[in-house]
Amino acid sequence: MLTDRERTRYARQIMLFGDAAQERLKDAEVFIAGAGGLGCPVAVYLAVAGIGTITLVDRDEIELSNLNRQILHWDRDIGRTKIRSAGEKLTEINPDIRVMAIEAEIGEKNADQLVGGADVIVDAMDNYPTRFLLNEVAQRKGIPLVHAAIRGLHGQATTILPGKTPCLACIFPCAPPEDVFPALGATAALMASIQATEVIKYLTGTGQLLDGRLLLWDGGSCRMEEVAVAPNPKCPVCSGSRAADPETKKKRRKRQ
Amino acid sequence: MITVRIRLFAQFREIFGGEVSLPLAPGSTVAGAVDGLVSRAPGGKKALLEDDGSIREFVVLMRNGKRIETNEAGTVPLADGDELAIFPPVAGG
Repeated sequence: MLTDRERTRYARQIMLFGDAAQERLKDAEVFIAGAGGLGCPVAVYLAVAGIGTITLVDRDEIELSNLNRQILHWDRDIGRTKIRSAGEKLTEINPDIRVMAIEAEIGEKNADQLVGGADVIVDAMDNYPTRFLLNEVAQRKGIPLVHAAIRGLHGQATTILPGKTPCLACIFPCAPPEDVFPALGATAALMASIQATEVIKYLTGTGQLLDGRLLLWDGGSCRMEEVAVAPNPKCPVCSGSRAADPETKKKRRKRQ
Repeated sequence: MITVRIRLFAQFREIFGGEVSLPLAPGSTVAGAVDGLVSRAPGGKKALLEDDGSIREFVVLMRNGKRIETNEAGTVPLADGDELAIFPPVAGG
């Protein structure tokens, strides 16, 4: 049940979704991987929308060069962990929700446990090895994965529904070489906003999801395009051989 | 001659532009189109090809909306009017 305070706090979106949908948001748990450029705005918009439990995981400390895009971290937070900073701010932004801020590096050993029984996983990572791990967890547990990534004025996003849409490894079988990417806060905010919208749509059963489509944003020409994506029948992660062939898996990891 | 329309995304767009109309000999393959494309821009070869001339594995190739594996690009023929989308996995977050 929503409290009177919640009914007032969320009045403008209850106009949009109704009481029952707002309760679904309250009952939901969303796992956000990363408290960086994408993770900060995703967490802010999911917190203010009244997602009942937000689990946020990150391993890093805040550096001055993060501050052009990671909006939950401020000048005074330099040197603190992203998790402490984000946890505090989110709780202040909306004290009516539960924020589980966990300082950890997401790895093969802890990914399943960290994700737990979340209703949705938000991919706000900055590298493909961890994205592929989250993709495998999502497939194994049947949890939707809302993916986004940014570089400079460019962004991409898609919503992965296990068993229904291609998985991340169908679309991107190989990680690109690691590099230091250019990043603009406004690009991250736009893609993160798309992710938050997808999460809220999924949980409330509203509209049409970004499933089976890769959205490609080019801020330079202010164009949003999309590419239809299809499952790869030979995908080592989702094509039925769920316990991915160890050789293929090894090869993929090596390339990262 | 046949003409294929190549659409590029993310950092590939910064190298080649958003769209390239590429004339090719009849019977050309997807790999042939990539070879034709890379010579058009400085840095093009390094962006899409390995030192041995093969297409870099992480590059996503889609012919008329259907994914083509990089190692099979040399066997997939193109027809006049085909559209080839080429993009990298964007990685930042």
